[in-house]
Amino acid sequence: METFIQSVVSGVLTGSLYAMIGVGLTVVFGVMRIINLAHGDLVMLGMYGAFWGLTLWRLDPFVSILLWVPLLFLGGMLIYRFLLKAIIPGGELNTLLYTAGLSLLIANLALFVWSGDYRTIKLPYALSPMRPFGIAVPVPLALAFGLAILITAGLSLFLARTDLGRAIRATSQNPEAAALMGVNVDRISMVTFGLGSALAGAAGVLLAPSLYLYPTVGEILIVKCFVIVVLGGLGSVVGAISGGVLLGVVESLGAVYVSVAYKDTIGFALFMLVLLFRPSGLFGVGKS
Amino acid sequence: MRRAVPLAAVVLVLVLPWLTASQFTLHLAITVLLWTVLGVAWNLLGGYGGQVSFGHATFFGVGAYTTLILYLKLGLAPWYGMAVGGAVGALVSLPIGLVCFRLRGPYFSLATLAVAEILRLVALNWEGLTNGPVGLLITALPPVRIASRPIDWESKTPFYYMVAGLALAAMLAAYGLARSRLGAYLLAVREDEDTAEAVGIDTVRAKVVTLALSAFLAAVAGGFYGLYFRYVDPDAVFPIALSVEMVFIAVVGGLATVAGPAVGAVFLVTISELFRERFLVGHLIFYGLFMMLAIRYLPEGIWGGVRRLVSGHAPS
Repeated sequence: METFIQSVVSGVLTGSLYAMIGVGLTVVFGVMRIINLAHGDLVMLGMYGAFWGLTLWRLDPFVSILLWVPLLFLGGMLIYRFLLKAIIPGGELNTLLYTAGLSLLIANLALFVWSGDYRTIKLPYALSPMRPFGIAVPVPLALAFGLAILITAGLSLFLARTDLGRAIRATSQNPEAAALMGVNVDRISMVTFGLGSALAGAAGVLLAPSLYLYPTVGEILIVKCFVIVVLGGLGSVVGAISGGVLLGVVESLGAVYVSVAYKDTIGFALFMLVLLFRPSGLFGVGKS
Repeated sequence: MRRAVPLAAVVLVLVLPWLTASQFTLHLAITVLLWTVLGVAWNLLGGYGGQVSFGHATFFGVGAYTTLILYLKLGLAPWYGMAVGGAVGALVSLPIGLVCFRLRGPYFSLATLAVAEILRLVALNWEGLTNGPVGLLITALPPVRIASRPIDWESKTPFYYMVAGLALAAMLAAYGLARSRLGAYLLAVREDEDTAEAVGIDTVRAKVVTLALSAFLAAVAGGFYGLYFRYVDPDAVFPIALSVEMVFIAVVGGLATVAGPAVGAVFLVTISELFRERFLVGHLIFYGLFMMLAIRYLPEGIWGGVRRLVSGHAPS
C-alpha cells in the first residue's frame, strides 16, 4: 500500500509538469490549429536556461525562471511573427512539417553549441527528500509542483477573466466569428504562441533539477506531450492538465507494477487506444 | 533531355568507384544512395498519397533486425536476409496501416510516431531476440564468389553496387507506381479523401497497399544498413530522427517526383556529412534549415523547382 501511495504521489508531481507542457501545446493548437513539433525543444531551452543560470551566475532555477519565462514569451512571439505566420495559410500538414524542421534546427544548434553531453543540475537542498507521512518527496520536485499549480491556475484565471484571455478563447472557438467581433486574430495568435512558449520554458526550468539535460531531450518530451494532449483532447486546457497528471501516474504505477523498461510503452499504447476510440479525448471536452 | 538526364545519372553512379580512390567519397556515396532508397520509400506514401508518416524508422529497424537475427541465429546469408527483412517489414506494416489509417492528417502522423517509439522500446527490452541495448554485431560476412573471384567485404565497392542497385530499383518502383492505377488512386486520396471514396475508390486499401510497398523498401534499406555497418542497436535503427530525416529528404528534394528524393539525398546528406566530418555534432542543422526554407519558398522541392524552370510550367 505504501508503495502504491508513493508511486501515485511521485506520478502526480511529475504529471503536473507534464501538464504544464501539454497546456502550452494545446493552447497554441486551439487558437492556430498548429501542432507545434518544436514545443519540446522550447522546454529544452528552458532546461538549459536553468542549467546555465546556475552554472554561470549561481542563480537558483526557481529564481532564474523569472528571467527565462519572459525571454521565451518574447522568443515565441518572434517565432510566430517572422517564421510561422507565413506558413499557417498552407494548412495543417505544412505547419507540422515546418515545425518539425524548426525542432530539428533548434535541437541541433543546441547540440552544436552545448555538445551532446548529459548534464545534471545539483541543488544543495535536493540531497535529502522531505518525508511527509513517510512518503519521500524530492524538494525540487515539490517546489516545481507548487509553482506548476500556481502558474496553471494563474493561466486559467487569465483565460477566464481577462479581456485578452476571453479573446484567446473566442479565437480558439471560432476565428472568423472572433474577428467579426473585433478581435485582432493575428495579434491574439502571436500572444498565444508566446504564451505557449513561455509555458514550455517554465516547465523546462522546473523540470531541469529532476531530469538529465541533453539537447535532444525535446524529442522525448514532445512525444509525451502528444500522449497528454490526445488523452485530454487537443485544444482543451482542462484536458491537458488531466492528461498530464494521468500520464504521470500511469508511468509511475507502470514502472512499479509492470516494468521500468516498458513504462513508456504503456503511455504509447494508451495514446493509440485513445486516438482510435476516443479521438476527441478521454474526457470528451476537446475538439477532434 | 527527358531520357538524357536519367541515363547520365545512372552512368555516373555506375562509374563512380573508378573515378575516386577515396574511401570517404565512396562512403558518402553509399550513404547518399541509402537515403535515396529511404526517401523514395517514404515518398510513395507521403508524396503521392499525402499520408505524412513520422514513423518509417519502424520498417527500417524491422528490416535491419530481421536481416541480422536471421544471419546470426540461423546462418541465413544477409543478402537473402534483406529480402526476408523486406517481406517482414511489409507484413508488419499491415496491422499498423489498418490501425493508423483510421486517422487522418496530423493525427496519422502522430500515431505513426508512437508506433516507431513502441517498436524502439520493444527492441530495447526484448533481449532474448535483439540483445537489447548492446545490439547485434556481425563479425564476418560469408565468402561469396562472382565469376570465381572472391568478393572483398573489407572494400566498400561491393556495398556501393548493392545499394546503387537498390536505389535504382526503388526509383523504378516509384516510376511504375506513379503511372499505375494505384498511383492515380493515391493522388485522388491526397487531393480529397472524401471525394475519392465517394467515386468508389477503396481508399483504405490503396493506402495499406502503398504502405506495404513503402515499408518493404524501407526494410530492405534497413537490412542493407545492418549488412554495411555490421551492427544494429535500437537507437541506431529506430530513432525518431531517422523517421524525420526520410521525410525531410523527400520534401526538400521534391514530393511526388521520382527523382526528388535522390536530389534531396544528394543535397542534404552531402552537406550534413561534410559538416559532421568537421564538427562531429549538429549535422542535422541543415535538415531543419532547408526544410523550413523549402516549405516557405519552394514547396515543390528542389527537383520540382528545377523542372518548373526547365519546362516553364508546373511539374506533373
